[in-house]
Amino acid sequence: MGQPKSAVIRSDLDIVIARTMARDMAKALGFSAIDQARIATAVSELARNIYLYAGTGTVTVREVEKLGRKGIEIVCEDQGPGIPDIDLVMQDGYTTSRGMGMGLPGAKRLMDDFSIQSQVGVGTKVVLRKWRN
Amino acid sequence: MESLRIPILKIGDILIASIQVNLHDASAVQFKDDLLQKIHATRAKGVIIDLTALDLVDSFIGRLIADIAAMAGLMGSRVVITGLQPAVAITLVELGLELPRVITALNLEKGLSVLQRLTAESGDGAA
Repeated sequence: MGQPKSAVIRSDLDIVIARTMARDMAKALGFSAIDQARIATAVSELARNIYLYAGTGTVTVREVEKLGRKGIEIVCEDQGPGIPDIDLVMQDGYTTSRGMGMGLPGAKRLMDDFSIQSQVGVGTKVVLRKWRN
Repeated sequence: MESLRIPILKIGDILIASIQVNLHDASAVQFKDDLLQKIHATRAKGVIIDLTALDLVDSFIGRLIADIAAMAGLMGSRVVITGLQPAVAITLVELGLELPRVITALNLEKGLSVLQRLTAESGDGAA
């Protein structure tokens, strides 16, 4: 397995860096062009959430394997304000900023596995996985 | 990357912009401002935004495209988006962004004929 790769999110330029990093790894792992776009788009949504709500955070991508199946795992972490009501932010159309409220539910639809942990005042961690066909 | 501007070409009373770079948020917003200014300055009846070279449209860029189409419409100019790649169309719909009010065409050539039809329907207001 290759080494994990990380990107620090501090500006909107870092969103591009993070999604390019995820796409490059997805490509190297043999994902189709459409899955590469899904993965890169999901990372773009989550990296933007970090930038908009927490200011800074990290996006880490790595290769994973389960029952002989290869996949990609993306971990997005920040020490931002946290999310008081996760059910609410997972609703389509819910937004507190300039977005369309597609970020979290949209990223979930684009990926196979999605989990989110968040604590107010501590931060948020989102883990995404996509498995190769 | 900060100073990168997307060129907007004028052909007759139509503007054409082809987005060929991996857009970050600030350059996308800059493009919106530049395009609306150019519509105003040239009195363009129509605009084609060609996205053939874009391999990713996330919710930010998607929303911006919808905004540009709506804002240009308020100014009296029609916008046609052309050349969306299959992967981009798939991810946009899966994201939940179907952009129902945005007019699209398969490619630049078809986009031009759509735009000619649309601007002919809207009469000679800009003449």
